Amino acid sequence: MRIEKCYFCSAPVYPGHGMMFVRNDCKVFKFCRSKCHKNFKKKRNPRKTRWTKAFRKAAGKELTVDNSLEFEKRRNIPLKYQRELWNKTVEAMKKVESIKQKRRARFIMNRLKKGKELEKAEAINEVKKNIHLIRASHAGQAKKLEEKMVQKLAEDVQMAD
Amino acid sequence: MGKSKQVGNHKNGRKKNIAKTWKTKRRTKDLDQIHADMIPANAAKLLKQEVDYDVTGFGQHYCLHCAIDCRRYFVDLKAMKEHFKTKVHKKRLKELREEPYTQAEAERAAGMGSYVPPKKVEVQTQEVEEDMA
Repeated sequence: MRIEKCYFCSAPVYPGHGMMFVRNDCKVFKFCRSKCHKNFKKKRNPRKTRWTKAFRKAAGKELTVDNSLEFEKRRNIPLKYQRELWNKTVEAMKKVESIKQKRRARFIMNRLKKGKELEKAEAINEVKKNIHLIRASHAGQAKKLEEKMVQKLAEDVQMAD
Repeated sequence: MGKSKQVGNHKNGRKKNIAKTWKTKRRTKDLDQIHADMIPANAAKLLKQEVDYDVTGFGQHYCLHCAIDCRRYFVDLKAMKEHFKTKVHKKRLKELREEPYTQAEAERAAGMGSYVPPKKVEVQTQEVEEDMA
């Protein structure tokens, strides 16, 4: 018995769940639920369907290249039960999982940082663009002109003297 | 309320029942099967078929890439050439330019290995021999 992976969305398929489709050239497709099977029948591309794991990996939404992803493997050689090995394996699995989760979380946080930066730049840009709503571009110009005129008059009077 | 998508009442040359086309009973070829068809040895066999009186155009004009819709046989060369210019055909070629999706990729996406970007495949419309003179 084995926990398979769904062809469409990559979710685990537990024994007794989902369905298997065998194409007339003997190729086997396993699906986790009817949603995935229906989408397959409609010939949708999992790489282009936004809710699948394949899309999320292809679009760089999730951690894609990492050593922590290399532990889970399909092993086809049966092993005889050894208590020590079993214990060790369980320990290792726990450790790998915790490391994997940390790295995944970090990757997503780093990805989201970019959006924050862009948001900030956009906000600054908006203020620059619409500054005239707060302060008209010609505000205070009349006063400035008046001051200039007064200064010039004073100078003229001085010259005349 | 949006506008109805239905255009006209006559369905000649159009899909009559979409639900039926989705049945696995009458399943058309998948992208990976077409990739297998594009291997020169297989392609040669498909492009030079024997005369079959039950098929449109006696099975002499077959579009290799568009077998995903249904079996794409054309009445004559002119119709096939016209088809090569259509959006349906060009869209299909674009889809075929990427390596087909596999179970292995699904497993990699599920965390069994690192992501490997799909390879590009060179795809061009099949050549048509011009012996119509």
